[in-house]
Amino acid sequence: MTTLVLVSHPQLADSTSQQFLKESLPDDDVVWEHIEGQSTLDVTKEQDQLRHADRIILQFPLYWYAAPAGLKQWEDTVLTRTFVYGDHRDPLAGKELGIVVTTGMPKQAFQRGGAENVTLDAVMAPLAALAHRAKMTWLPTFPIYQFSYLEEPEKLQLVIDYQRYLTQKQPDSLTNRQEWFAHRLSAMVDQLPAEQQTTGKLIASIFDQNRAHLDQLTDTLAMIKEQEDD
Amino acid sequence: MTEQSAWLRQQIDQLANQQSKFTDRAFWLALKQVVAEQDRRSEQLGGEVDGRTWRPDRW
Repeated sequence: MTTLVLVSHPQLADSTSQQFLKESLPDDDVVWEHIEGQSTLDVTKEQDQLRHADRIILQFPLYWYAAPAGLKQWEDTVLTRTFVYGDHRDPLAGKELGIVVTTGMPKQAFQRGGAENVTLDAVMAPLAALAHRAKMTWLPTFPIYQFSYLEEPEKLQLVIDYQRYLTQKQPDSLTNRQEWFAHRLSAMVDQLPAEQQTTGKLIASIFDQNRAHLDQLTDTLAMIKEQEDD
Repeated sequence: MTEQSAWLRQQIDQLANQQSKFTDRAFWLALKQVVAEQDRRSEQLGGEVDGRTWRPDRW
């Protein structure tokens, strides 16, 4: 699966959250692009990137309930009517669209009665409408509230949550989570220093056993339910 | 939590603490959470299997 991450930020180098996310990018098939970092937008190249991606992530800080102006300019330049739906080829159909949005306000601000009095889902309405028009699948938004206040355990958690948002199969179920970890586990064990290899292999083996055991229980339960229905 | 899962989580914690790279540490700690979830789900599913199998009306 190829994921295209399009970052919109007017001063990327000054953004600790964007730098953190860049350092957290998974090793998988991920293409990362900073929209404002390009002197001119090469429409053909941008459209090709979109065609080749299975999942497209728009990543930006929230400025006055919207993305920075750079993203709107990118939309207006790259997402031409003909490209998105005009010629009835629907090149984006079936692709997933995800939003990674950072906010300066805490989570509880984004609800009716909260300081912002609006939900993030409501704020994302124009982008969700675009996804719908392009026949894309809208992924649940990935918000990062007040990055600068995050403590180390929360930042550690953010690294993997972000990686999974970029590359894990949706929906975010235990089955899909297990598959994502299983896929990476052997490479992670291999890169451990020699003295940690045994522990790593043992952990991986118990993880696999647990996973198989859960599959078995799920099958048994399905059989029991089937018999009950008879 | 069974003795084995408590032991396993301890092993993962130790391994995580030995990683110098932040993203590697993050991986192992996140794996620990999935293992905890596996335990929880296994207990729930096991309970449901028991509950559905124990049918006095079919004795």
